[in-house]
Amino acid sequence: MEPVLIVTDLVQKVGKKTVLNGVSFTVHAGERFGLFGVKGAGKTTLLHILAGVDRFTSGSVETLGYDVRKSGAFKKHTGLVTQKRSLFEDLNTYENLDFIAALKCVDKDNIFSVIDRLELREYLNKPVKSLEAGVYQRLSVACALLNDPDLLIADELINGIDIYSRHIILKELERFLSNGGTCVRGYSDIRFCEQMCRVGWLEGGKITLYTPVEAIEQWDRQIQALSCQNGTDDD
Amino acid sequence: MAIMGREFTYMWRDRELRNILLVGPLLGLLLFYATYSVQALTDIPTAVADLDRSTASRELTDYIGSAENLNIVACPNSFEEVEELIKKGKIVVGVVIPENYGKNVSLRRQARVEMIVDGSNMIYATNATGAVLSVTRSVGAKAGVQSLIAKGVHPDQAIGAYQSISFREEPWFNPTLNYAYFVVLALALNFWQQCCTIAACMNIIGETGVGSWRQLKAAGVSKLRLFFCKSAIQICTFMLIVCPIYALSFTVFKLPVHCSFGELFLFNLAFVIALHSVGTLASSIAPNAVDATRFGMIVALPSFIVSGYTWPLEAMPGFVQQLAKIVPHTWFFQGINYLTFKNPGWHFMVHFYLAFFLIAVACYGAATIFTCRK
Repeated sequence: MEPVLIVTDLVQKVGKKTVLNGVSFTVHAGERFGLFGVKGAGKTTLLHILAGVDRFTSGSVETLGYDVRKSGAFKKHTGLVTQKRSLFEDLNTYENLDFIAALKCVDKDNIFSVIDRLELREYLNKPVKSLEAGVYQRLSVACALLNDPDLLIADELINGIDIYSRHIILKELERFLSNGGTCVRGYSDIRFCEQMCRVGWLEGGKITLYTPVEAIEQWDRQIQALSCQNGTDDD
Repeated sequence: MAIMGREFTYMWRDRELRNILLVGPLLGLLLFYATYSVQALTDIPTAVADLDRSTASRELTDYIGSAENLNIVACPNSFEEVEELIKKGKIVVGVVIPENYGKNVSLRRQARVEMIVDGSNMIYATNATGAVLSVTRSVGAKAGVQSLIAKGVHPDQAIGAYQSISFREEPWFNPTLNYAYFVVLALALNFWQQCCTIAACMNIIGETGVGSWRQLKAAGVSKLRLFFCKSAIQICTFMLIVCPIYALSFTVFKLPVHCSFGELFLFNLAFVIALHSVGTLASSIAPNAVDATRFGMIVALPSFIVSGYTWPLEAMPGFVQQLAKIVPHTWFFQGINYLTFKNPGWHFMVHFYLAFFLIAVACYGAATIFTCRK
């Protein structure tokens, strides 16, 4: 399969701290690549670099065949769902979709399509500030999918949201993947590993690649080691 | 167009910003016009202490009372009482006619009349001094003529001697020295430029300092395109809100204007672009929106004072003069004064435009460098 993302020896320093220290991996077309790590491991930093939002110190990142340092053309074919709220707070739901569609030069038909798929019709006139976390996340996904991207980069896609919104988002993700899309998801809950094809475990600025089963086993081993150390039976 | 539309929506929906931009400058204009509506200081409260109580001293008191700008509000009996009235702010001008005033005048001896002006308020003091001077000049001349007549000089010759050199005062451009003509428009424009500075200071940090900056970056929008569109809308808005100020000033309040609307519009546009560039620079350097506003206000607040509008630039220390010249406000307020009162023509005004151009190029250039790093 064709590689969609090629990350080579990526280093990112923020102030004096080295957040990413020689990260290398490849993601192939149609793959669900999970980026696992505890809080502060550098998942968001890495995802923002992949999406072309942040610059990096050294190394190389090739997204959809483009060197992200030299060209932003890949952005026409990517979608980003951020961990923190990043929609336009001064606009309502529909205006956000309309504005982002205009920025991405997307046809208006796509707006109504994502509205239906993510069940946003009843929230169209509501200011995004007033949306509950689940609906907000549905809107974020809708905005990311407006341009029918080839690559979806999502940070904590369904963490801490209501079950119904989670169901809608996962259904939409399945649809996206079944149409040939590639997804890179960052998360800090080990249970989400089950939904991935491969897992990149970020720790201490380095990445280790696992199968989902291996990643869960590795997590269990760490928990067990900690339990033995403390003489408790933590889960 | 989408970026422009969203910028306009943002400015309109931000209730505080909308009120500041739409209501602030107009309210300022109304307030300043109301403040200076009397246009010149008349009826300056005056006290005359007549310690002589002679015919001559009563004549002098009547003369002072009939002076155009002086209004006798008290007749104290001693110098100490005059002093007390000035201290309490009851009077601005105090006149003390000494004992033997009438006798000295009739004997053609020197008579010394004390005229005290409260200097604690410069504006009042300047006007009061002017009014007192016109009285003393007339009284002095009258006494001189009488003295010459007493020495046997023919009355016509005596009068002629005092009028041989005629000084005709003729204030041009503001013949009645109307204070409202001088300050109302400038103060309203000062208010307006401060409001515009606040808005311009949000230009870059208003985007880069919030979460939606990631959406803009992820969408691959060019920063140049984004900020050019935003700036265009902001500049148009600033120009739109200054129009009612001029319309009210020139049509309702009848403030003087000697240049054409086109010249005024062009001059304002050049200033707005330069002003916007300063705000944009502040907004590109600042780490957050609050600091951006602080930076902008550091420039906008004192700029009117150091612009040379109310106190001549030439009378300021050299370094202040140089400092004043690097902010567009100095060129704007000086230029507005020239355009509204004198309209000196394009050849004179061209260096004002050049200053705006250089400031805009420098500030937008620096802002671009800072923004490219974000």
